[in-house]
Amino acid sequence: MTTQTLHPRIQVVWVLRAVLIAAVLTAPFVGGVYLDRLPEWAPIAVGAVFLVLGVGHALLKYRRWSYEIREDALYLDRGVITQVRTTVPLVRIQHVDSRRGPVERGVGLASCVVYTAGSRGADVRIPGLTREGASDLREELKRLAIRADGEDAV
Amino acid sequence: MKLAPQSVPYRALQKVSGIVVVLFFVVNNNPEWGFAVATAVAGAVVLAAVAYDVAYYRRFDYELTDDTLDISSGVISRREREIPYRRIQNVDVSRSVIQRAIGVAAVNLETAGGSSTEGSIRYVVPDEATRLQREVQRRKSAASSSETPGEATDRSGSEPGAGPGAVGPTEEELFAISPGELALVGALSFDGRLIGLLAFLSSGSVPVLSSFIPDASAVALTATAIVGVGGLFLVSWVLGAGIAFSNYYGFRLSRAGDELRYERGLFRRYSGSIPTEKVQALRIADNPAKRALGYASLSIETAGYAPGQGGERGSQAAVPIAATDRVYRLAREVESFGDPSFHRPPKRIRWRYAFRYTLAVGALVAVAFGIDWYLGAGAPWYAPAALLLAVPPAAHLKWKHRGYWLGEDHLLTRNGFWSRTVTVVPYYRIQNVIDTRTVFQRRWDVATIVADTAGSSSIGGDDAAAVDFATDEAVDLRETLRERLRVAVAERRDRRDRLDGDVEGAAEAGEPIGEAGEPTSETGEPTDDGDEPTSGAADEALSDEDDDDRSEVPDDGVIRPDFSGSGRDYSEPAERIDTGEYAVDRNPSDLGDGSESGDEDGDGEGDEERDAGNTEK
Repeated sequence: MTTQTLHPRIQVVWVLRAVLIAAVLTAPFVGGVYLDRLPEWAPIAVGAVFLVLGVGHALLKYRRWSYEIREDALYLDRGVITQVRTTVPLVRIQHVDSRRGPVERGVGLASCVVYTAGSRGADVRIPGLTREGASDLREELKRLAIRADGEDAV
Repeated sequence: MKLAPQSVPYRALQKVSGIVVVLFFVVNNNPEWGFAVATAVAGAVVLAAVAYDVAYYRRFDYELTDDTLDISSGVISRREREIPYRRIQNVDVSRSVIQRAIGVAAVNLETAGGSSTEGSIRYVVPDEATRLQREVQRRKSAASSSETPGEATDRSGSEPGAGPGAVGPTEEELFAISPGELALVGALSFDGRLIGLLAFLSSGSVPVLSSFIPDASAVALTATAIVGVGGLFLVSWVLGAGIAFSNYYGFRLSRAGDELRYERGLFRRYSGSIPTEKVQALRIADNPAKRALGYASLSIETAGYAPGQGGERGSQAAVPIAATDRVYRLAREVESFGDPSFHRPPKRIRWRYAFRYTLAVGALVAVAFGIDWYLGAGAPWYAPAALLLAVPPAAHLKWKHRGYWLGEDHLLTRNGFWSRTVTVVPYYRIQNVIDTRTVFQRRWDVATIVADTAGSSSIGGDDAAAVDFATDEAVDLRETLRERLRVAVAERRDRRDRLDGDVEGAAEAGEPIGEAGEPTSETGEPTDDGDEPTSGAADEALSDEDDDDRSEVPDDGVIRPDFSGSGRDYSEPAERIDTGEYAVDRNPSDLGDGSESGDEDGDGEGDEERDAGNTEK
């Protein structure tokens, strides 16, 4: 399996999230304007900054995200500010979920969550899959995990 | 078996004593009701609690079966739980002062699953607690040792605790704390929590204080602050010493067969057992004071304690202090890693730390300036800049105490100067490998590699981490760890398969690995009694499920599924053989499960069973 990228539509989800976060963060500044503590341009500027940062982050995040199933492990490479590369040995997979949140359903996407018994990377989520892609990935990982035939080591 | 009868009043009073006292005072202080009513109300509450606990006592039952510990409990909602011995991580017994006085003990059994203690038996008499502890271990090792079916039936027939086997393997003392060491533990313990608490409280009272001393000079203010902080440290230290002393009084670590046992505590006595095969990681910690005196401490980590329970509970099985070489000897008893020689991060990384500390000092100066400006005290706000002198040595020390080492079977990492921790992780226990690079790390072209295990204290960020290694080296390390894990798993599998092959002979040689036909995987699963190693979480669910199945099985406890095409004789219970590490079924029906051919069916069942497991929880 070669390196896989996410479905481009996941950007919609992440951009929407960024907009929402920007809105929440801007709210206090709007409040400040209402109370005449801040000039009118403040919330607009602040909102714009948050929006640009958030949207930029979302787009970069999409470009950075990739995953790959190799012979004996699942590799994930992601993160904009802190780059994280996770190696999940297939023998250590405990179970695999595919899930679809409301927003994801809205854009027709799903994600796949891989669980291990680890404490820090106990669950890794692969977002931005198509509905069939998520269940295919789930089945594929399950098949590989069974083939790997490991012990749970706990 | 039943709980100790004296647990009934104890449990009842424990539950309601607080409420009763409050109620009594509330009602008694009400002029309309008075003393008599108050007594009546309090009495009624106590009676209700006692009634409940009598019911609890009557409804609580636990039993040691061949493969599982069964606990059925609950007055209003019933719960019947079966814990396979093989899945038990730790068995802990604790007795507080009151519990010791009335002669009861609390038993906690931890498994890796779940979010709280899985088996909690409150309360039994101390002898029974010890017997439970020993018996669980004995049955666990018995379950994995080789036996003929005849012996197995024998054992199930014999009354638990009656046979001579109940004595268990001889105990060999590994470590007992000496008074001198105990004193040292106390002296070197420092409870930072009090400082945190007081700092939190006093942060609110600064304006109040400053209004008390409106025109105090800066010198007086500083002097008061110094005295206050000094006092705080002293109190913290005494407190920490007291806690450590009562925690580790009479600490003793011993080894019995494949199990470690510890006991400790002055007021509240703890004792517990940890199977060596369940050890996830070892941690050897010291600080500058301990290093100077040549001491270190050791903690043994299992997956038993749930997240959030971590911290103190997880380190119950820790050797609080011992001479460094002794600590290493003890650690090697548990996990035989070699003589580590750590690789350090590249030297240039010291610049990174120096830069970081310089920034911190800069921030400190800025804060000092801000305070000075706000109070107008005219104090020498630039004083913290003197700390700049400490920056180069600090950076050097931080670099010096980092490192990792790849042993034959273990990864060792070392981090921290003030509290230096060497973490020993067997490759086999690695769950996943995480490579992180922050923005700043990327500027220096370095990365951090974390080897994640199922251990519990890693929740607090105490992972086995190789921090700030050159990217190339980090990538190599990541790949090496993955590869060594693969080899370690393969080795174990080979050993298992070889043993399977030896025992079975040629007759079923075609069956085991990857080749097994559909029938085996289909029929194999219902019969497996949770004792075979299978992969993944499904195993937990499987064993539960199968144990349930088994409890419904009538006559001789053997399921005879409708099968065809498998050479296995299902009329005999599965034989077990000793691999030294874990139990395997002589008829490796679960291996069929591992084959690709049995996939579709295996999956369907797996899912169902997983669901069932979830709903049970």
